[in-house]
Amino acid sequence: MAEPIISIRGVHKYFGRVHALRGLDLDIDRGEVVVIVGPSGSGKSTLLRCINRLETYDKGKIVVDDIPLDSARNINAVRREVGMVFQSFNLFSHLTVLDNLMLAQRVVRKRPPAEARQTALELLEKVGIPDKSDAKPAQLSGGQQQRVAIARALAMNPKVMLFDEPTSALDPEMIKEVLEVMLALAAEGMTMAVVSHEMGFTRAAAKRVIFMDDGQIIEQAPPDVLFNSPHHERTRQFLGKILSH
Amino acid sequence: MSTPDEPQIPHKELGHIPGAEPSSRMDVWWWLVALVVGITALLLFAWPDPFMNIFKFVQDGIVITITVTLVSFLLVLVVGMVGGLGRLSTNRAVHIISTLYVELVRGVPLLVQLIIWYFAVPVMLQYLGKAWAIPALEGFQADPVVMAIIGLVFCYGAYMSEIYRAGIQSIPKGQMEAARSLGMTYFQSMRHVVLPQAVRVILPPIGNEFIALLKDSSLVSVVAVADLTRRGREYASIHFDPIEVWMLVALLYLIMTLFSARVVNWIEKKTKFER
Repeated sequence: MAEPIISIRGVHKYFGRVHALRGLDLDIDRGEVVVIVGPSGSGKSTLLRCINRLETYDKGKIVVDDIPLDSARNINAVRREVGMVFQSFNLFSHLTVLDNLMLAQRVVRKRPPAEARQTALELLEKVGIPDKSDAKPAQLSGGQQQRVAIARALAMNPKVMLFDEPTSALDPEMIKEVLEVMLALAAEGMTMAVVSHEMGFTRAAAKRVIFMDDGQIIEQAPPDVLFNSPHHERTRQFLGKILSH
Repeated sequence: MSTPDEPQIPHKELGHIPGAEPSSRMDVWWWLVALVVGITALLLFAWPDPFMNIFKFVQDGIVITITVTLVSFLLVLVVGMVGGLGRLSTNRAVHIISTLYVELVRGVPLLVQLIIWYFAVPVMLQYLGKAWAIPALEGFQADPVVMAIIGLVFCYGAYMSEIYRAGIQSIPKGQMEAARSLGMTYFQSMRHVVLPQAVRVILPPIGNEFIALLKDSSLVSVVAVADLTRRGREYASIHFDPIEVWMLVALLYLIMTLFSARVVNWIEKKTKFER
């Protein structure tokens, strides 16, 4: 079995007195799609944000693609390989869509403008909005913005994609267009860690579902196993709430 | 690339939102500048004695005032950025030093600071030069214009730091996070993502600072800089005609400040649509 691309060992995180992550262990294999579910405040977003060190952690070890997250240099190296998609899109609002996709390619990857532009246009095509390259983010719908955000992360050719509740801020009819892009990405073999309660996506794409509560992983299993026969009472209660409608 | 059936940037639609239209009112205030220029010209040419005489006497002062203001302002922009970033730094030492700078400097009157820079600091340096036997310091002679610019920059830099800090803080945290998550360093993220957005927010207060600095530059007349105010005082003390002198000096300041205000306003309007 190959080395996991993400390896998390004994990670603790405190927000002041709140013990947000309580000694987490988690491995994610290359090409694996993992969906993390859990009640709000369970630490799932915090865990995701620790993987690219947007959040510092107080104890433990995280290694991404053989790079330990322990120095500023390594952190930037990991961030180059790990794309992140946020709940609130976070497109650079002063730049056009095209410039959003080109900025990090030029500044971080040092690609020449023509190459960066080419990559950007191909990715816009891929996420289905080739005609919006000159628009400003504010002129796009939420679904379009999120697809641009995915394309922006992909432009760096990441080895791993992190999705932090990517559809939570979207109107129902826009969720589908974003999930389709994510499904396509999963089908291509992208390693993905997704915090989301989109059950359709989870059933279709996830190899493993992780249920978190109170800063710990309560249990993990393939989606049909976890959804149909959860081991723990807490998992059952939580799934009852989100699956009942 | 845009599809023709979809509306592009907003001039047309925004035209219906009150206050968002590219206003023609901005031109209205230009006539105020023209009026003040007209009155000044009238005085100069209708009564060349004393007004043209005064003007000829103070004109090198105008150059000094403008030079001191522009040079100081450019440096203030830099010092303010450094101070503002320092105030937001997670490095404790940097944070404490920049906070002390801002809090202490804002609490001392500018005039007192200018006097300290011109009259006290050189003496202090000479004293230190003597104590440590450094000949270059011992013979230190202060250049009034240089010391005045240092004083203005030191003081206004503190105010500008707070403007930068507020501007940077007004940009949602997610912008910085998105930039960092793409692998950009802190400074790359600041330079390419946060500051370009912050600058648009702080443009109006920065413009106000420029005009305030222009007016406060008159204080340097106290520390041996031959600016407009000092030249006016010199003329008045020779010719004993304070009414005409100070009327003209005030008009000349007004021309500069009103003109600057229009330029600031124009820049604001220009950047408004690019949100």
